[in-house]
Amino acid sequence: MEIHGTNDLLGRLLAAAGERSRVIATNLANENTPGYRRVVLRFEELLRGALEKGGGDLSKVIPRLEEDLVTPARPDGNNVDLEKEMNALRQNRILYESYAAVLATRLEILRSSIESGR
Amino acid sequence: MDGIGKLFSGMNAAASGLSAERARIDVIARNIANAQTTRTPEGGPYRRQVVHFEPILERLAGGGSRTTGVRVSRVAADVATPLERIYDPSHPDAGEDGFVWMPNVNTVREMADLITAMRAYEANLAMQEEFVQMAERALRLAQ
Repeated sequence: MEIHGTNDLLGRLLAAAGERSRVIATNLANENTPGYRRVVLRFEELLRGALEKGGGDLSKVIPRLEEDLVTPARPDGNNVDLEKEMNALRQNRILYESYAAVLATRLEILRSSIESGR
Repeated sequence: MDGIGKLFSGMNAAASGLSAERARIDVIARNIANAQTTRTPEGGPYRRQVVHFEPILERLAGGGSRTTGVRVSRVAADVATPLERIYDPSHPDAGEDGFVWMPNVNTVREMADLITAMRAYEANLAMQEEFVQMAERALRLAQ
């Protein structure tokens, strides 16, 4: 069960990173839409918050989409910054590849343990 | 998570440099575009705009602070460089004496600033790409 739980979490992290790249693409597409506020997808920090509070059921923690009301807006009310989004895109790619690498390694271990039992 | 957090804080610093340098390039473009503007809504000729940068400070838990990036603190008019005054009686904004007040924009100086801003932008971009490659190299260790 422990193996399944961790792999399930890694799968959800991968899905969240995939969703985040779509969110960043939407922000970039709206770079010139007056009044548009950039959207961020929070998941990792919600998980960290849950872990700091003593863990509990991590499967109940779900990704959350939030409007960024902290970043100051331009005079047209839009707060999309090209460089900020590119930075987010790059960091998200690193996260995606990390999750994929860990998941692949875990599945490989699982596979070899199944095969060694034959 | 701490390792990747450090990597990301470096990437964020480089990204803040990219945003700040792009703001500087935007202002330089505005200055060059207005090098001949003799009438503004505020009255008088256009005045060269200058970008001021300031460090982004992060408070540390044990007191004190550290720099985590750069941002534009303000964009202000350059009042130190004097306005140009040229003789052109045919100019619509010429005074009784035939002289016109021209902006204090020196195109050559703006071009020199543009080159330094672009070099700084490229340096920040190279820094960011370096962080991405570091992460990729670290990931290859796991495979």
